[in-house]
Amino acid sequence: MVEIRNLTKYYGTHPAVTDISFTVGDHEVLGFLGPNGAGKSTTMNMITGCLPSTSGTVLVDGHDIAKEPLQVKRLIGYLPELPPVYPEMRVREYLQFAAGLKGVPRAERKKQVDYALEKLSLTDVQQRVIGNLSKGYRQRVGFAQALLGNPKFLILDEPTVGLDPKQVMEVRTLIQDLAREHTIIFSTHILAEVAAVCERVVIINKGQIRAVDTIENLERQVSGVLRIRLKAEGEMTKVTRIIRSVKGTGDIEDVVPDTPGVNTYTIKAESDEVRKPLVAALVAGDCMVLEISTLHSSLEDVFVRLTSSAPFTDPEFDTEPAPKQKEDDN
Amino acid sequence: MFALYKREVRSYFCTPFAYIVSALFLMVFSWSFIRSISQMSSSTLSFQFPAVFYNNFFFFIFLIPLLTMRTFAEERKSHTETLWLSAPIRVWQVVLAKYLAVVTVFGLMLVLSLFYPLVAFIKGSVIVSSLICGYLGFILWSLVCIAVGMLCSAVTDSPILAAVFGEAAMIFVIILDSFAETQFVQSLPWLSSAMLWFSTQHRFAAFAQGFFSVSDLVFFVSLSAVVLAWIVIVIEKRRWSRG
Repeated sequence: MVEIRNLTKYYGTHPAVTDISFTVGDHEVLGFLGPNGAGKSTTMNMITGCLPSTSGTVLVDGHDIAKEPLQVKRLIGYLPELPPVYPEMRVREYLQFAAGLKGVPRAERKKQVDYALEKLSLTDVQQRVIGNLSKGYRQRVGFAQALLGNPKFLILDEPTVGLDPKQVMEVRTLIQDLAREHTIIFSTHILAEVAAVCERVVIINKGQIRAVDTIENLERQVSGVLRIRLKAEGEMTKVTRIIRSVKGTGDIEDVVPDTPGVNTYTIKAESDEVRKPLVAALVAGDCMVLEISTLHSSLEDVFVRLTSSAPFTDPEFDTEPAPKQKEDDN
Repeated sequence: MFALYKREVRSYFCTPFAYIVSALFLMVFSWSFIRSISQMSSSTLSFQFPAVFYNNFFFFIFLIPLLTMRTFAEERKSHTETLWLSAPIRVWQVVLAKYLAVVTVFGLMLVLSLFYPLVAFIKGSVIVSSLICGYLGFILWSLVCIAVGMLCSAVTDSPILAAVFGEAAMIFVIILDSFAETQFVQSLPWLSSAMLWFSTQHRFAAFAQGFFSVSDLVFFVSLSAVVLAWIVIVIEKRRWSRG
């Protein structure tokens, strides 16, 4: 278990992270979400002991990072934002070095390096010089390094940044795979990623925690905001008039021109039910409906709302999963 | 810690670095060797090797920042220091491993330079005791210079700046003696004696002339240790104040 208690970090007089607390249970995948510059990397650096905190503590399996740094570091595998790889080394050589650095016994090194190479599909490039590899591969080498020493906790700082969509999918699958054996904390500013792999998220903004909750609970908070995306052919004023005439539709938030005569409308709606009468009305009005879909209010709305509102405080360090957000809807 | 030491040594030899610096070192060495031979008077019976060290020490010393400039600055620049900051290893172990690696590379360079005494030995005669003393003095002096060079590397994230700082520090090391002997400093006896405590040149000169003294040995080793401790403090301090 990782317990983060009232962690604060000042860079000079500038607060990077202020009084954050949360707990990560064993075998949990926790998403650490926030816009750029929110303090994600600073927090992760403090959890891994790279950076001392100004105040507050991190307890990893009961060991205090400030008092027993070596014990804590043995339990943690860390992939920083920029993979800490030496460009002049070969992949295998680097991993062997990293295993030695982490104190993996000599007899076990080969086995662990092979395991890490295989997990990240690096076996084919193991003899190549890291400096000649692409960004995606370098990221994977950094990831492989984090697995060495079989750490109980994996801390991954933006593991998918700079990867192509296929690689992003692979990393996500890998995280899900690793979650069976490790406790994972990973940071990202991509929401789809959190939704795909995490059970619980911590949302942070400007160094303060905005929410610590499960994804379902967070999504429930903003339910009621439903949008319909409609692609229809016909004159814009006419289509707009028809949309407004249908009962249950709200404001038209956005109109994006598509091909000539075709526009895509984003409409607020009370429920899914509005789709049927809307299509019927448009067809009756001689406007061709090309596409219609509902846009579920999602983590994105939660994220946008939380990162522009008052800070969240949880005196219990989030021991209960129920939503405790107290804030006015704006 | 051994893993780190091994990586450091390898990184010198996997890149052209060690080779080019060694080549430069040998070039300077052979130049001063040839010059010493050509200046030998016919009355001298044996070749004085320590003179080669002593007359040209400042050339050698300027090579040291080239070896040390990357030690910490490069790691900071390429963000690889997080690897050892997050590993179960203490900062002093990292500093010591890197220090020993540079000392090893420098030691290998000195081994290459043994070629010249060997030639002199075959073709003429060499005072072996003073040769050994000269090498010893040079090694001890470079222990301090390597530590100072690494300290310069630890305060910046640019290897080039680290080299410039290193050269400046080396100049300071060299001129400390002559500065302590200027009339102005001599007029303040406490200052001049304090400077002489830390000055290295006269101690090296003693070695170069074939005098071995335990107090000088202790001086060089302990000064290196103090500078290494300083590096640990610099790195720890940076962790506290910045990212």
